[in-house]
Amino acid sequence: MKNEIDISIDFAGVELANPVFTASGTCGYADELSDFVNLDSLGGFITKSITQNPRKGNPAPRIVETDSGMLNAIGLANIGLEKFIEEKLPTLEKFSAAVFVNLAGKSIDEYVDVAKRLANEKSLAGFELNISCPNVAEGGIHFGTDPVQVAKITAAVKKAVGEKILMVKLSPSVTDISQIAKAAIEAGADAISMLNTFTAMAIDIETRKPILANKTGGLSGPAIKPIALYMVNKVYNEVAKKYKIPILGGGGIRSAKDAIEFIIAGATAVSVGTASFIEPNCTAKIVDGIKNYCSRKKVKSITELTGSLEV
Amino acid sequence: MKNKGMFSAIVSANEKNSEQFYKLELVFDGDGAQQFARARAGQFAELDLANCKLPQAENIPDDLKDSANRKILLRRPFSFSDVKAAGDKTNVEILYCAVGPATLRMTTLAKGDCVSVLGPLGNGFSLPDDKSKAVLVAGGSGAGPIMHLAKQIKADSPNVEINVFVGAATREKLPFENCWFDKLTTGGAKTTVATDDGSAGNKGFVTDCVLNWLNENKSAASETIIYGCGPEAMLKVLAEIAAEKGIDCEVSMERVMACGFGVCQGCAVECKINGSDKTIYKMCCKDGPVFNAKEIVFKTKV
Repeated sequence: MKNEIDISIDFAGVELANPVFTASGTCGYADELSDFVNLDSLGGFITKSITQNPRKGNPAPRIVETDSGMLNAIGLANIGLEKFIEEKLPTLEKFSAAVFVNLAGKSIDEYVDVAKRLANEKSLAGFELNISCPNVAEGGIHFGTDPVQVAKITAAVKKAVGEKILMVKLSPSVTDISQIAKAAIEAGADAISMLNTFTAMAIDIETRKPILANKTGGLSGPAIKPIALYMVNKVYNEVAKKYKIPILGGGGIRSAKDAIEFIIAGATAVSVGTASFIEPNCTAKIVDGIKNYCSRKKVKSITELTGSLEV
Repeated sequence: MKNKGMFSAIVSANEKNSEQFYKLELVFDGDGAQQFARARAGQFAELDLANCKLPQAENIPDDLKDSANRKILLRRPFSFSDVKAAGDKTNVEILYCAVGPATLRMTTLAKGDCVSVLGPLGNGFSLPDDKSKAVLVAGGSGAGPIMHLAKQIKADSPNVEINVFVGAATREKLPFENCWFDKLTTGGAKTTVATDDGSAGNKGFVTDCVLNWLNENKSAASETIIYGCGPEAMLKVLAEIAAEKGIDCEVSMERVMACGFGVCQGCAVECKINGSDKTIYKMCCKDGPVFNAKEIVFKTKV
């Protein structure tokens, strides 16, 4: 009877069929993933980062597997704004899932220009502001580790996107993540997306060199889940609850149980990333698993689970 | 109809074939059988090996003892050495070496086990329709897809003369001691073997044998095509030989992959844009793994 269970959510004013998102950079622009999973089964879809101009990205090796995780240093490789509008947007328009474009750039002006150009696209629900990419020399994480910069860029991009939802994606590589979340929210963020990857490295002991060409990369996968869960709970308790701002939580989710843990910790919705590489249809399975859980636990609305941690 | 997907395959055999090589046979039914029946030589599949057992301690090679216990997260990509469609089932054969913790676990797969497979992925080799001679060059574990290609050329382009060159460090590291050689010779392909130490076939690099053969068989360059699969250093030399002689050359590249279907962007291969000095990164999994040798910027240290 799982079809009768309603797991739709209100996410910063937009109604989503369910709380499951694909995370940026793990699902391309949807075309590749659609060979393996019905993307209409998702609540939300976040594109790979888009920058004003195409970006070549970093040399190989760009990825390395680590215990229960992986490092990546792709370097925001993407096709650029114009090609995205021309080639990818028409495909994304067909999906019932709410589509969010992940914005990246080297300067506040670049973020604003890209946001403005896409702000009137009817098929987009909103944007995810990437101020937390650990793998580029300019921009990226440098905007995301200082509350003053976070406020500045959030306010500028919020002005550019108008009515559309603006999520700010946080880096875990900071001293106090709540402080960053607060800066983003007070500057106009409609939602908080957490987390980006953890800056990390792997070493080849034969050559004594870093395995990644970029030397460092971002750690993702099950290895980061307990830390991400803690950080979501912290930001929920210290900031998001008070401001009534939804959290898109994630980090190492690969099962419905993982997803429900994040929701109990304080997330309104969840993002699934690395797991899609291994099981490209896992998002659809997680949606079903959440329905089964709600049915079993007699949860009427999934939103009553958000932040329901018993302490 | 989709041309790839995620399927469960059943292991029908998994045996050690030589000092270095194992051969895994997978059986697909249903949609998987249909899609894998059309798999081209050079395409590949991503296998989930995370739940495979470790071999018993005494069967773990010394060089893998330290890393054997590492937990596997990502799938591993393998190309095919043979694909046979029979009735409503398709058999896929994979030739592999145990080189790390995942392929070490892979050796314990047994008849009847179930494996999750994504595929078929990537582009595969083109067939030499407008050529009269095909030169197939395999180095190390690159032998699998070259065997598959020899079979496909024989079936689809029967008038093309097939010349196979197989290289390895030593006799023990050759892939076909027991079964592969027969397959090639009965298939009518002329086969030349080279080992670095001369313990089998010609002593020296396989690319030297290719060069000698090309010098002795001076058919028009436009009528010959070279296909390569093996270490990047070997492919680089092949590309140089092909460029110098004006012969078309396709190479199958190898990169560490996370997804295998184009979303993670991890498996970057640097390619020249229209022969210029400007380069872009193409994806080994989606744009390749087979590339025109002319466009590749080979890694200098490989």
